[in-house]
Amino acid sequence: MTRIACLLLTNGPVAPGALLQVALAHSPRVEEADTGCVYLDASGLQGLFGDEPRLAERLRDAAAAGGLAIRVGVAASRPGALAAARLGSGVTVVEPGGDTAALAAAPLSLLALSEDLATRLARWGLRTLGELAALPTAGLFERAGAEGVRAQRMARGEDPRPLASWRPEPAFEESVECEWGLETLEPVVERLGELAARVCGRLGARGLAADGFEWVCRLAAGGAHAGALTPAVPLTEPAAVTGLLRLAVDARPPRGVVLGLTLRARPVRMAPVQESLTDPSRPSPRFLAATMNRLVALVGSDRIGAPALLDSHRPDAVGLGTYSSSPLRGEGRVRGETVRGEAVRGETVRGGVARGDANPVLALRRLRPPAPAAVTLASGRPVAVRSSRLAGRIVAGVGPWRSSGEWWTPHPWLQDEWDVELADGTLCRLAHDGSVWHLAGIYD
Amino acid sequence: MAIPIESSPPPGWEREGIDGLLGLFAPGRLSEIVGPRSSGASSLLLALIARITTSGSSGGSREGGRQVAFVDGTDALDPTSIAAAGADLSALLWVRCGGRLRVALSAADLLARCPGFALVVLDLDDLGPVPASASIRLQRAVEGSDTILIVRSERHREGSPASLVLATRRLAPQWIGLRQLTRLAGLRSEVSISRSRLHSLSPLGRGQGEGTWTLDWTLQQ
Repeated sequence: MTRIACLLLTNGPVAPGALLQVALAHSPRVEEADTGCVYLDASGLQGLFGDEPRLAERLRDAAAAGGLAIRVGVAASRPGALAAARLGSGVTVVEPGGDTAALAAAPLSLLALSEDLATRLARWGLRTLGELAALPTAGLFERAGAEGVRAQRMARGEDPRPLASWRPEPAFEESVECEWGLETLEPVVERLGELAARVCGRLGARGLAADGFEWVCRLAAGGAHAGALTPAVPLTEPAAVTGLLRLAVDARPPRGVVLGLTLRARPVRMAPVQESLTDPSRPSPRFLAATMNRLVALVGSDRIGAPALLDSHRPDAVGLGTYSSSPLRGEGRVRGETVRGEAVRGETVRGGVARGDANPVLALRRLRPPAPAAVTLASGRPVAVRSSRLAGRIVAGVGPWRSSGEWWTPHPWLQDEWDVELADGTLCRLAHDGSVWHLAGIYD
Repeated sequence: MAIPIESSPPPGWEREGIDGLLGLFAPGRLSEIVGPRSSGASSLLLALIARITTSGSSGGSREGGRQVAFVDGTDALDPTSIAAAGADLSALLWVRCGGRLRVALSAADLLARCPGFALVVLDLDDLGPVPASASIRLQRAVEGSDTILIVRSERHREGSPASLVLATRRLAPQWIGLRQLTRLAGLRSEVSISRSRLHSLSPLGRGQGEGTWTLDWTLQQ
């Protein structure tokens, strides 16, 4: 006979996993349903903790000792246990066979119904699980399909799904101690390569890849030298990881004799992708990762990536997201931030022209930073410009195109822009921010 | 000199013409686009990038076009312009070199040796032209691969191993407004083949005249 206990947190936010630890101290089969709600298998615990009311009291006391205020419900199903915990006061035990009655007064919102089904049941005038349980099953199936029948079974306290046992996240970390100490870089890289092979082997066995690596060198002089790298694409190949580690350690070598090394990988699950014969070829993840790391060493990590338009009207409001050649790049992460369409470096991305709609667009070459310019005015219009990049008489021009924004922030901006043609034919954009003139860009 | 025109931007975008022009760039070869300021050279590059990053998106491909790397010698790329040209920004790798010629050359060399990029652009503008030794190295890096390597600079250096050299020339800016100019509409420029070692592979002369194209670039506000 299945007996389920529900532990429902009633006080504010607590340390993650605290409630789980209470449950795990009493039963090996625990399911973390939601934040602040944990189910545990209470079957067969009488020999250890006494009958169910005692077990429930013990759970509540153990939680209270850890600073958690919880309600405990025990029933034959998860909905029954949840209803008992939510509607009861402190500790509630539903006797075997009493789940349907215990659930009858509970609101429909106790079940995680889809929006469609919840709306439909509300239109039928149903408010409680008892009303849902009383509906004729055949008619419910005709109108709400299998989902409706499933919800009705839950409302009757029939819960066919077994507990999804919680398992601790595996730590992909390997360490090695060096008896004699490593004084040069090559043996350090060699040991890191061995650790990478072990970590990658464990990742591969679980069908995972790593999108980040961290290493720590324990130094003989005391202290530690730590570093991290983020490959362009998640990796599982030890050779590729070792190559990247070599580059990273070369760039920032440990200062002193190394006595121990630890390598830690951040695992990600890679969706299997079937490459298409008709799809264009893409850079190999391994080659791309190595190339990207060399480029980062060359230009710096903040100067390489995929361009992204930020959700701002500020001139030259662009950002750099992480470049990925993966066909699933739209579903990946961008330097720890949300992907394109949502946010890049904390700012949302503005929509552009529809892809595939190639236009003969006149390009603007930006000057970054804008070059200060001396502009001569006549009747409020620029007639000559002189800057470090170009100088000349202005033969035609239009403007000012006025824009301003973010006046509600500490960094408001205001700009007047002019498109001008110089006597030598150069087309450029001048900008005036209220105090000084700049050469913002050159049309080309 | 300003040429006032009526309210709409002028026609002149010949799709067949531009396709023929863009088709001149051969994979596995070094090509150059040279031209002074405001001659349309960057616009031509943008059109090419847009075409490549979106190629295949209408041909049954699931995820659109091919990958492009843009080595920006002077940090001059305007993503707004390139998005307006229709390019898929997520298929574009932008490497900003901050005006350092050696860094830009090294970055282009690395990318040319990384298989999988359909196009690698080295935009040097007035940093160039590329030293002869670096040109040869770049040509060798891309040789035998499926990558198009294009160097854009203001001037062409004699002795460059480039298989194709396109020169751009400014014809006239396009303004809107009769008595008083109200808006810059675009630029008319001319693209011509200065040198090509691929006569048998490229349909030279297709379009207007003997390997010369007149193109109208419109300004997207």
